[in-house]
Amino acid sequence: MVDFYDIRVIDGSSLSIVLDNGEIKEVSNNFSRGASARALKGGSWGFASSDDIDRLDAIKKSAIKIAEQTHSKRPRERINLAQVARPEPGSLPGVRINPENISIEEKVELLKNIDTASRVKGISSTNAVYSEARVHVRYMSSEDFDLEYQLRRVGFAITAVASSNGVYQIGQESRFGVCGFELFDRYDALALAEKAGKTAVDLLSAEAPRGGMLPVILDPELAGVFIHEAVGHGVEADHVIEGNSVLEGKLGERIASPLITIYDDPSMPEYGYYPFDDEGSGSNKTTIIEEGVLKSYLHSRETAGKLGGTSRNARAMGYARPLVRMSNTYIEKGNLSFEEMLEQLKNGIYLIGSRGGQVNPGEGIFQFNAERGYLVEGGKTTKLFRDVSLSGDTLEILKNVEGVGNDLEMHSGRCGKAGQLVPVSDGAPHILVSRALVGGRG
Amino acid sequence: MMQAKKALSYAVKAGAEEAEVYMLVGRSVSIDLRKEEIDLAREGFVEGIGIRAIVNGAVGFASTNNPSQVEEAAVLAVKSARVRAKDPEWKGLPYAKKYPYVKGIFDRRISELDASRCIDYAVGLIGGVDSWKDVRPTSGRLMAADSSQIILNTNGVVVEERDTILEASIEAIARDGGTSTAYEFDVSRGLDIDFYQVGAKAAELAYKSLGGRGFETQSTNVLLRPQALADILENTLIPSLRADNVQKGRSALIGKLGERIAAESLTIVDDGILEGGIGTSRSDDEGTPSQRNAIVKNGVLETYLHDSYTAGKEGIQSTGNAIRPSYGATPMIGIRNLILEHPSCDVIASTDKGVLVSTVIGAHTSNPVSGDFSLEARNVFVIKDGELAEPIRSLMISGNIFDLLGRIDAVGKDVRTIGNVILPTVRFADMRVVG
Repeated sequence: MVDFYDIRVIDGSSLSIVLDNGEIKEVSNNFSRGASARALKGGSWGFASSDDIDRLDAIKKSAIKIAEQTHSKRPRERINLAQVARPEPGSLPGVRINPENISIEEKVELLKNIDTASRVKGISSTNAVYSEARVHVRYMSSEDFDLEYQLRRVGFAITAVASSNGVYQIGQESRFGVCGFELFDRYDALALAEKAGKTAVDLLSAEAPRGGMLPVILDPELAGVFIHEAVGHGVEADHVIEGNSVLEGKLGERIASPLITIYDDPSMPEYGYYPFDDEGSGSNKTTIIEEGVLKSYLHSRETAGKLGGTSRNARAMGYARPLVRMSNTYIEKGNLSFEEMLEQLKNGIYLIGSRGGQVNPGEGIFQFNAERGYLVEGGKTTKLFRDVSLSGDTLEILKNVEGVGNDLEMHSGRCGKAGQLVPVSDGAPHILVSRALVGGRG
Repeated sequence: MMQAKKALSYAVKAGAEEAEVYMLVGRSVSIDLRKEEIDLAREGFVEGIGIRAIVNGAVGFASTNNPSQVEEAAVLAVKSARVRAKDPEWKGLPYAKKYPYVKGIFDRRISELDASRCIDYAVGLIGGVDSWKDVRPTSGRLMAADSSQIILNTNGVVVEERDTILEASIEAIARDGGTSTAYEFDVSRGLDIDFYQVGAKAAELAYKSLGGRGFETQSTNVLLRPQALADILENTLIPSLRADNVQKGRSALIGKLGERIAAESLTIVDDGILEGGIGTSRSDDEGTPSQRNAIVKNGVLETYLHDSYTAGKEGIQSTGNAIRPSYGATPMIGIRNLILEHPSCDVIASTDKGVLVSTVIGAHTSNPVSGDFSLEARNVFVIKDGELAEPIRSLMISGNIFDLLGRIDAVGKDVRTIGNVILPTVRFADMRVVG
């Protein structure tokens, strides 16, 4: 007899269309389904999975057998799973236009128009991607859970490259949502594509800034990436337990400016939405930081059982093993308008967009590359910069926040951890930081 | 086979002029280790089909792992082909040929492993690490897999193959005032890995790396051990050898066929039929018979790596380098078993002065087009008068792979299989190291 088992059955399909320089490079349709079972005996997990969902009983037995074998050969400290809140039946984000009812020709046509819109003067190459997916999830457990939901996701991404005299600059825009084809009513894809093209061209003549410790404003996209990468991963309780988080042992402490409140909310109808997580826990908002005080980590049942807290962030890619993950993570909006914030900044740098970066969660040190930046002089944006980066100590940046905008924006993406990608969103309003290390080229 | 044949006929019925079915069925058992403990033991079954359909010289693709959706997938593959413009460079799928007989890629004992036996092996890995004082495992993994693949196409290709693979890896940390870490692994087609030895080697390297000192920036002899050099080659030389990259202008080797690109003493072979090779099989993943290709012969570039598409574009034969990461993706170009051949010597003993680099971090940041790299070297040791001396704490190495290949000046006898690359320790004279 094992202490616990659960089973997840996933049935999904996806379509992606890729244009390379306006020509179709790839049209790929994938149907995939499968099931996995977990079993817990003492402190040992057994896991089994199969593409064949008619073998549920066989994989359940396999997981149980593996848990029992592991427990008898190599027992470890008992795992006490936290109790979960049964999800309340509620309505899922609506799908107005089922993308499967739109012909592939129409999707290709739309993507070609997006591609064309990005080709402003000076653009030398482009890449455009359309994607749609449907996933159906069923969750069952030895605690008598039997739950299911179906979601659709739609999105696009455009990348435009401008070149001149051997210098290449990139502009990118993307939007993804938990919704149907109406995503293209919600966002003006052609205008965004044109913006990507213009950004690339403008950056050709931009210069790298002189680096140094400066007051900065982060735009909602870069501030969102900062919150996700530097703070969000640090509050994933598995990282905390492994001793790989600078936020270990800081619950209840003031770690940020009192202007900062951060939530993770899977019930929000954004890209990281789910009605219940991959352990059957109902979705709800977790307050990570409230007015500067660290309130909670993000948990699976195993980590909540060990550290205390509420479990609602166990997620998996497909039928893989659930891990502690973020959903929709954001900084709550404040009361400054962007104009007021520029006025307050007076002189500094306004950093926009993200080109990725690196975080060392154990030491709390990060480095992000912004897409671009502006010099701010006398409360006005003036000169455009490229190759501009932001680096420093996560906790110092959080303490140095002196203004939070009233213009919260969410951005969608996929977050990777232990080889698993899951859809997430992150967001923030504009954020004013009194001192941050800005880097230029070299 | 029945299902694969059906899928092919569905594609033809839907209007495909040519079609191909790639089917994969597999079972794997894996054990994840965290510190001294079994973090997770698992068993997994995969089964799926990828369908390529060609209409008017355009390719469409769909995949499924649901037998009841095979016909739907075939129809979608054809529809996807129809929305694409004709590709005048498409010359067709491979034709049926005689396939070579390959040895040593299936071991029944691996196909019969269960989680319980794999746990014993994983415990062996841990035991090897723990046999060293002050060294402990941090994470590790053991994986055994048994896969069968079928490739069918409308040009008569029928290839069926079954293989096994066993992998063991472990990371160890040594603590003695300071700390140092090291990674070791082994991979084989057969049940012949000494798990305890893999753990012991990781521990030995971590232990010997303790107490590393600083090293002055200079140009010196750099000896890259197999793990380090394989990692660099995979991110520099190999992308430039791919014919698709050459044809798209993304390779440093454009126009270099027949030219010297490496030391005359160096020959590089890509062998798809190597006995027991990790990349060995009767055919590549689109049904071209596997073969042994001299890529670089006595320093001269003889061929790029081709699949049927890039070869067709140039009116030559595919070299059999179409590789699929899964049934859910179309083939891409990759190496099979890349072998570095060079006269060997006792390379450390013949080195007066230099450094020995065991592994590198950040090889993926190399420039795959130019071949430039600048990497952090790990588990580095000073070589003095032909002998290994003290460890070095931190060292950056940088260079350009094409420049270095011309300057290989000695090669060791310690040939190792690092996944799909088979190579010894190689010495490069006068290479830049930053302490």
